[in-house]
Amino acid sequence: MTNESPPNDRLKNIWQNQPTEGIHLSIDEIRRRAGKLQTKVYWRNAREYAAALIVLGFFGLGFWHATDALVRFAEGLIIAGTLYVMWQLHGRGAAKSVPTEMGVASGLEYYRRELERQRDLLRSVWSWYLGPMVPGLVVLMVARARIAPGHLGRVALSSAVIALVFVSVWWLNHWAARKLQSRIDELNALEAQR
Amino acid sequence: MLAQPSTQDDLYRDAADLYAAALERLAHAYEADAEVRRDLLQDIHIALWRSFAGFDGRCSVRTWVYRVAHNIAVSHVISQRRKKSQALVGLEELESVSDHREAELAADRRHSLERLLELIQRLKPLDRQVMLAYFEGLDAASIGEIVGISAGNVATKIHRIKRILARQFQEGGRRDE
Repeated sequence: MTNESPPNDRLKNIWQNQPTEGIHLSIDEIRRRAGKLQTKVYWRNAREYAAALIVLGFFGLGFWHATDALVRFAEGLIIAGTLYVMWQLHGRGAAKSVPTEMGVASGLEYYRRELERQRDLLRSVWSWYLGPMVPGLVVLMVARARIAPGHLGRVALSSAVIALVFVSVWWLNHWAARKLQSRIDELNALEAQR
Repeated sequence: MLAQPSTQDDLYRDAADLYAAALERLAHAYEADAEVRRDLLQDIHIALWRSFAGFDGRCSVRTWVYRVAHNIAVSHVISQRRKKSQALVGLEELESVSDHREAELAADRRHSLERLLELIQRLKPLDRQVMLAYFEGLDAASIGEIVGISAGNVATKIHRIKRILARQFQEGGRRDE
């Protein structure tokens, strides 16, 4: 690497002497921006919880006012499912790498870990995101069909739409996870050569 | 090199002084959009400052700085790829793509830099890390430590890089002389 050919020397020179803006942040500025970043994360999480609270409020009201026992049971299952998804979101959000780990992990380790984290998140979308909502939704559809036997067609149509959305989300996530796996395999092969 | 800093702030201040320009170049290699690049650079600096709270000296400060910076940039690439659809390629593919490219070669430094950035920004993260470290003048062992691959692997990749550069820039270099 020391005996470079002139074209490579020239390119290295161009690279190293490219104009830069000379951006400099003082420690106070870094602290302020790091705090701002934390606030941003806090509000993003708050928005997710607020959305979940709206769902909980909606089904909570349904649960409170339901006269049919089966509908009330379905609303209860949906509330439980939403709480479970919130708990999972909280845990999975906290699992992100902290900056110190970034200094310890090499590029290959870190890249693979990030890809594996994403792959696992996508692969398990059924068990932690979609699945917990299914029992409540199924029971709700059965309850509606039971309450209004004259509207079976409408109940069947909404059930089919929900099922289609769930299967599509699952399939897209599964497909993305498969693509990530092939990239992880490439990195594993590279590491095996060490 | 560094005057035995002891605290997180001191470590960051010294590292930022030494590597500010290199970090800007690194951000340039990962993000073409100037506004987004500033945000990326800011994220790198914040992560660097936060990371030094746990720096235990098991590797050099230079290796630490490059690892943190590259790893933040890789996260940026992963999240940006969800928004942009441009496929990233490895050095192997870039070699074959180069054969089919029209031989419009750089005539000045600015054009050469643009071409260089275009090449780098198309690379997969690990190949990009090797190429950047090579351009920063790091030796194979240091590159291997940062990227996490063997020195032999680094040498193979650098050999490919040189071949690609020769093919892409040879004529431009002659014109410059």
